[in-house]
Amino acid sequence: MKLLTHNLPSSHVQGVGPRGFPLHLQATEVRINPMEFNPDFLACMIPKVEWAVLLEAADTLHLVEVPKGLTEGYDHDEKFLRQMHHVLLEEDVLEGTLQCPESGHLFPISRRIPNMLLSDEETET
Amino acid sequence: MAALRTDSGWRPAAGARFFCTAGRGLEPFLMREVRARLAATQVEYISGKVFFTTCSDLNMLKKLKSAERLFLLIKKQFPLNVSSVSKGKIFNEMQRLVNDDPESWLSAISIWKNLLELDAKEDKLSQRDANPLKRKVEENDIINPKKLKTKQMQELQESRECQLEKQTDEATVEQGDFLTNREKSQEAFQNDAVKAVAAPNQKDLTFRVSCRCSGFVAKTFTAQIFIHLNDIYSVVGIPVFRVPLASRAYIKTAGLRSTIAWAMASLAEIKAGAFVLDPMCGLGTILLEAAKEWPDVYYVGADVSDSQLLGACDNLKAAGLQDKIELLKVSVIELPLPSESVDIIISDIPFGKKFKLGKDIKNILQEMERVLCVGGTIVLLLSEDHHRRLQDCERGGIPWNSKGSHTDEPGIEKCLNPGEKTDLSDTVSSSAETSGQGDLDKMPPFGSLVPVDRYRVSLGRTGAFICRYRKSPSSAASRLAAVSRFQSSQGSCTALKAVVSGSR
Repeated sequence: MKLLTHNLPSSHVQGVGPRGFPLHLQATEVRINPMEFNPDFLACMIPKVEWAVLLEAADTLHLVEVPKGLTEGYDHDEKFLRQMHHVLLEEDVLEGTLQCPESGHLFPISRRIPNMLLSDEETET
Repeated sequence: MAALRTDSGWRPAAGARFFCTAGRGLEPFLMREVRARLAATQVEYISGKVFFTTCSDLNMLKKLKSAERLFLLIKKQFPLNVSSVSKGKIFNEMQRLVNDDPESWLSAISIWKNLLELDAKEDKLSQRDANPLKRKVEENDIINPKKLKTKQMQELQESRECQLEKQTDEATVEQGDFLTNREKSQEAFQNDAVKAVAAPNQKDLTFRVSCRCSGFVAKTFTAQIFIHLNDIYSVVGIPVFRVPLASRAYIKTAGLRSTIAWAMASLAEIKAGAFVLDPMCGLGTILLEAAKEWPDVYYVGADVSDSQLLGACDNLKAAGLQDKIELLKVSVIELPLPSESVDIIISDIPFGKKFKLGKDIKNILQEMERVLCVGGTIVLLLSEDHHRRLQDCERGGIPWNSKGSHTDEPGIEKCLNPGEKTDLSDTVSSSAETSGQGDLDKMPPFGSLVPVDRYRVSLGRTGAFICRYRKSPSSAASRLAAVSRFQSSQGSCTALKAVVSGSR
């Protein structure tokens, strides 16, 4: 699970069902996934980022070199973009948990895939 | 022959003529694709095949995503004249089909060889003049009358379509059998006597009778000839690739048919930087097809089933797309996403008993509608049952025209004008239905999802509908505006059957 994926559900929360946001991330296994740098893609994604959530998650993963927020002309600032590229896309949580701030329920992340089913019903197709 | 040799391969400078087969319902997608991807001209859809001319090289041709198979056209002409059920006359016609105009064979074979960049020094073919070819072909026509007669009679009685594969060999004298073959049946072909007498220095092109040769036998031939005779035309072509285009090298385990998955993605208007969700992704076929074509996009797939997610994981790895597509184990009716956060949703609604009709499909659409941005697009693949059920739902809500009622029409019409230049937006099916009366305030669960268009496609044994919706700002006025936009887009469709009947 990338930090981008952790972040987007948390952005501009508007009374989503029984779940609270943001889900607090804990990681036991993280891998760095080198990815091709694509500034145009990043320019589209960055405005959607919820910064408080990102910073907390980055802190949990002990990341350094994390931008603190948007600055003027960020979309031409290559250093900024590359840092965001790394934080959002290249840090991959393989194993960990996501905790609901309201209920305290822990959703597991296993093999990169977070399990956010509320009920225990799993249907095998 | 004038040609361009580029880095990506040989291209016919003046353009070569091809045809593709496509799954039923996908023809408009294919026509649009050849124009967009290959800058194709003279695009025609006739009786199940899309014909077109293009200068593209092999690598571009290989990228076609909505076609089943691609063939280089040798000849296309009027259907065989079968005014009488006379074996002799029909055979004569077939002989003429094959023997007449050897130039068309030679030139097509030459293009084919160049496209595939087969051994360039084997240019003997283009140096041969027409006559020896003609003679040899005639020598090869040794017909097994008895076998043919039974088959021929069967064919003529049952259908006019037959698929005939003919062997031609310019270098050696061989015995071949003229055979007829039922188009979709596996067992009709019984060729037991292809005696290939190989000349000692045979290096030239040989074509085998296509009859499910496999193993070493198949490898002795370079390629096959494809012939399709029906009431509309007689078409002869060479398959450009050994493997159908529809069978993707990058998909390890296919879920949904790849051509349909790509067609759905092509409808979704995916733009760079979009957030695209498939909330019932299964093995991830749709996301794979989309990510291959539109890479600068954020893709998320979700499913409730571990085994499906594992399969999807595998598929992503095999395609090298595991970094482009995120997977979540979540339920489509409870998506852990804020409202209006997703730009595009593309999904194959599972068919079958697992999904109870009625309640579930409404909940699914409701949740999809919630997470979708205003102006966002949803493209769904619906079984006929689901589709019918949705129509029932829709009756409770938005009227499909401002007057408020329609005659109930059975089924869905797909509007397609064969042979005409077709823009995808003209190919609109309409369903006229009885609208639930009155209250626009009585919102159906997907009230702000406005249907844009739908396409009936074949999934083999069953049919299904690709349906596109757009989310409009939820107010009654804008809903009506969207509805009348939808209507005017159907105005040119000659098969339109939306009938407004009276009031109430």
